[in-house]
This record gives sequence, C-alpha cells and structure tokens, in this order.
Amino acid sequence: MEIDRLDGRKANQLRPLACSRNILNRAHGSASWTQGDTKVLVAVYGPKAGTKKNENPEKACIEVIWKPKSGQIGKSEREYEMIVKRTLQSICILNINPNTTTSVIVQVINDDGALLPCAINAACAALVDAGIPLKHLAVAICCCLADSGYIILDPTKLEEQSMKAYAYLVFPNSILSVRPEGSLKVQGEPMEHGVITSGTQGAMSVDDYLNCLERGRAATAKMSTVLRRNLQPQIASDLSKAG
Amino acid sequence: METRLANSFRLTVNEKKFIETALQSDLRIDGRRPFDFRNISIKFSREEGSAEVQLGQTHVMAFVTAQLTQPYKDRPNEGTLSMFTEFSPMADPSFEPGRPSEAAVELGRVIDRGLRESRAVDTESLCVLSGKSVWAVRVDLHILDNGGNLVDAANIAALAALLTFRRPECSLGGEDGQQVIVHPPEVREPLPLIIHHLPIAVTFAFFSNESTVVVDPTHYEEAVMGGRMTATLNANNDICAIQKAGGEGVLQSVIMQCLRIAGQKAYDITTKIKNAVESYNTERALRKIKRHPSAVALDISGAGVNIGKNQNKPLKGDSERSNLTSEKSVTDQSMDIEGEAKSSEQQQTNKIDGVSKNFIGGPSSWNDNAK
Repeated sequence: MEIDRLDGRKANQLRPLACSRNILNRAHGSASWTQGDTKVLVAVYGPKAGTKKNENPEKACIEVIWKPKSGQIGKSEREYEMIVKRTLQSICILNINPNTTTSVIVQVINDDGALLPCAINAACAALVDAGIPLKHLAVAICCCLADSGYIILDPTKLEEQSMKAYAYLVFPNSILSVRPEGSLKVQGEPMEHGVITSGTQGAMSVDDYLNCLERGRAATAKMSTVLRRNLQPQIASDLSKAG
Repeated sequence: METRLANSFRLTVNEKKFIETALQSDLRIDGRRPFDFRNISIKFSREEGSAEVQLGQTHVMAFVTAQLTQPYKDRPNEGTLSMFTEFSPMADPSFEPGRPSEAAVELGRVIDRGLRESRAVDTESLCVLSGKSVWAVRVDLHILDNGGNLVDAANIAALAALLTFRRPECSLGGEDGQQVIVHPPEVREPLPLIIHHLPIAVTFAFFSNESTVVVDPTHYEEAVMGGRMTATLNANNDICAIQKAGGEGVLQSVIMQCLRIAGQKAYDITTKIKNAVESYNTERALRKIKRHPSAVALDISGAGVNIGKNQNKPLKGDSERSNLTSEKSVTDQSMDIEGEAKSSEQQQTNKIDGVSKNFIGGPSSWNDNAK
C-alpha cells in the first residue's frame, strides 16, 4: 500500500535537488544545496596556519561554524557542528597539510526538513569548490519511519515531526576508477556499502534501521550521479580567489 | 591567536598607491565614476519577510520575524523593533565567530537609528492589548559576503524584508475581551507592517588627498580610505541620521555636497526597492489565486500529468525541450512553477538556479507538440 504524502511524492521519491557552486566572492569555496524548500549555503576558507589548542598539530584540522537562520546559538547548533566536523574529517585527507585549520561555515537559509543531510551535501560541494583534497565525496540522506512501518525518504519538516522516527545517513560516494578493476573494495565489500555517519531520532527496531540503510543507499546512488555531474569543472571565469 | 590576525585584509603598498593615484584622476578600480552606485539586485524567497540583496560583490540576507511579548513599561502602547546583525565568518576571513565586533555593532546601531528614530516603522499599530501584549518585530541581518559598504546593503535588505513581511492578524476575545487570539494565515490574511517612509543609507569614503570623495566604496577602497560617513535620508530629502565616527577631517562644503548627492541616490534606491517589492507582491497575489496545482497543469500545459512519466530523462534532452518552449509566454511558465513545484513528480533534477524553472515546464509541453 502506498503512503500518501502531503506533497504527492511517492515513498522513495526525493524532492527536487539544486546545487550551485562558487556563489560568494570572498570565500575560497562556496556552495548552496537546495532540497525542495530546505536551502543551505556553505562557505569554506582554505587552510590557515595553526590549529586550535586541543587539536592534533600533526594533522589538518577542520573547524565548522553553524549559523541558524534566526535566534540564539544553542546546544543543537553545537551538536550539528560536531556531526558535520566529524563527517568531513573522515572524507578529507588530513595528512597533506598538517598544522592548518580549514574553516567551514554553514548558513541555514531555510529549514523544511532534512536539514543536516542538506548541510553535509552542501559542505562537500563547497570543499570541492575550494579545492581541498578529499578521499572521496559524501552523500547524505534522511529516511523517516512511519507508524505503519513504511520508510519514506527526504521528509519535509511536517513529516519529520509527525513520524515515529527518522534517521539521517551519510554514505561515501563511489569512486569512478580509470582502471578496469573498478571500484575500491574494502575488505571484500564495495566501498559504497560503508556508512560514514548515521544518526537517529525516535525509536526504531533493528530491522527497520537496516531497511532504512538499504533504501538510503539506493537513493544516494542516484544522488551521487547528480552530484558528480554538477561538480564537473566549469569553465573558470575568475581563477584566483585568495585575498 | 596571532595566527588569526595574519588573515586580516592587508593591501600592499603598491596596491594602495595605485588606488589613490587612480582616484586623483577620478578613476575607480572597478571602472565606476566617483558618485556611481554598484548594481543592486533584490531577491525575495517564497517565505514572507526574507530578502536577499546583492550590491556588487556584497551579499546580505535579512529575515523578519514577529512575536507577541510584553511591552516596555514606559511605552505600553507601542510594539518593538529590534535588529540583530551577524557578521558571519563566511563573509570575510577576518570576521570571527562569537562576540560581535565594533563594526558589527556600529552597523546594527546605524540601521536601527535610521528606522527607529525617524519613525519609519509604525510601532503603535503593533499594539494589541495596551500594557499587556504587543508585537515585537525582530530583523536578523546575515552578512554573507563582504565586498565593501555593508551598511547600505544591509539597510536595503532590512527595508525590503520589512516591506514584504506579513504578521498574523489577531483579535481580542475570551470572556472579558482580554485574551489575544492569533489567527493562522489560512484563516485570516496576514497584515503588512505600516511603514511611513524608507530611510536609505548612503555611505561616502574620504581619502587623504585633496578631498576625494567616493560613494559606495568596495572593500579595496575601504582598506585605503581615511574616513567614512553614512547619511541616512529618505526620498523626501529628510535626513534621518548621519554617522561620521572619527577618521579624516572633512570640509563643510564637502559634507554639504555629499548630502545633496545622497538625496539623489536615496531617491533612486527607493524607486528600485519599491519596484522590486511591487513585482514580488503581484507574483504573490497570482500565486494565491492558483491554489490547485493539478488543475493549473491540466488547463495551461495540458499535459501536467505526463511530467511524472518523464522521470529519468537525460540532462541534454531537457535543455533541448526547454529551448523549444520559449515561445510559450513567460507568465504561464512562472505560474506552472509555483503550482507544480510541490506536486511535481520528477524524482530529481539537476538544476541551476533560475534555469531550472524551465525544465519543469519543458517536458510537458514537448509532449503536447508530439501529439
């Protein structure tokens, strides 16, 4: 039985995606990611000298600043900062520029559900725009669990609030290899089957969670083709950004 | 941390000399004349009370929200208007997160003074129940990109957002007529704020040689300038506020000339803001009429239902189709977008801002022609 969603989408249908890069002039890299009505703008300032006090100086450090649309900065913003930071740390190559700090500034323009996945996607695109070396890209998606046990993807804010539970998942983007051996395998399993980040809200059974993983993985496969196509090098009009 | 200071904007001596020498011959490095403003673009989003302004390379967003609160004790009949300025670290590598810097506080105060002291926003109409309940309007300004002259851009953004903001209508009810009932937007149309006039800020930069003055400095010129002055005027040539905080001493005659120029610029900018707000309002009214997207799709494009079948079309195909639909009137397409954006059955489209709108209209009318 199909679930009726308010905007007429099917259970595993995503909202229209839009991604644009190089929006800001002063920032070294910038990207905006729109999923339906949720829109996030991310700016990246490339490696600056020095790391913060408690960070390891032998590696590059990533600093995330999350700016909500309005209101005071509170605990939930700090939590988002930590999640985005840890996710980005696992996709950046940290050994190349030790003892430097890369700043990622996330600005929420509109929140209509699936905010954190949208922010992670935007941050990934902004890092590519800034030219920060990455191991692979990351694609994020949000899956909601309805009372009847159905899983719906990319919920709006109303759906998130009314559903029993939801999970946001970040998967690594597949690496397109030039060599005929194909994609990278980690201990026998293809790399796409890994999970970089996963967070849940609400109670769900283990089976439901594994279901979410499967659905999310299938959807992110399509999203990653969109992302890859969008990140193709554009004809650069102005090259130098620094200073 | 000393390392942070290393990121502040420093011009080399050569660059400084170049800018100053060029100004002596009335040339600015971006090709403008000394009293030319950069291009202003004002965009609104679907939500009410949010505006995005681009002044050349400077990018500012403003969001307006309102809440019911208790009034101040000494003004029981008036609502409140408060400004919150965020110099986001994304605008400039030297902006730090955390406590607002001097410049951020100054910007907030200048814009606030322009609006509050000149009574541009009518606060008495924001009173619901005298002494107990009034509307507190809050304007959040986010600076996204610092290309110079943040005050003017932020002022325009704040005005545009306030003009398009709608607050919910509320009435008094309950047993003793003391309870405030807020009506949701679906029940009663929200009301606009009453704004008497538009105070526009115009910033001038002074340079150390022979009273050189320019309007709307870029961030390169700001790094070289000796002093600045912001004059806030409205279209009736009333001066709402003037801010000249230190810096170079300037002759009286130069100040008077600046005020005259500011008057002209204020008039131009006021017309631009009013035009942008009007076109947004007409678009909004049109959107409200077309409330049933499926009906719109069937009537206008005739094949709205077919959109769902074209789910996995390649990108090239879409662009070809959108070229063929160029003969269709632009207004039709825009109505399609607003109505169909929600009920669109396309799974995912790779869009570029603005051009994307043509993609939705594209496939449906192509199918029409094929029949």
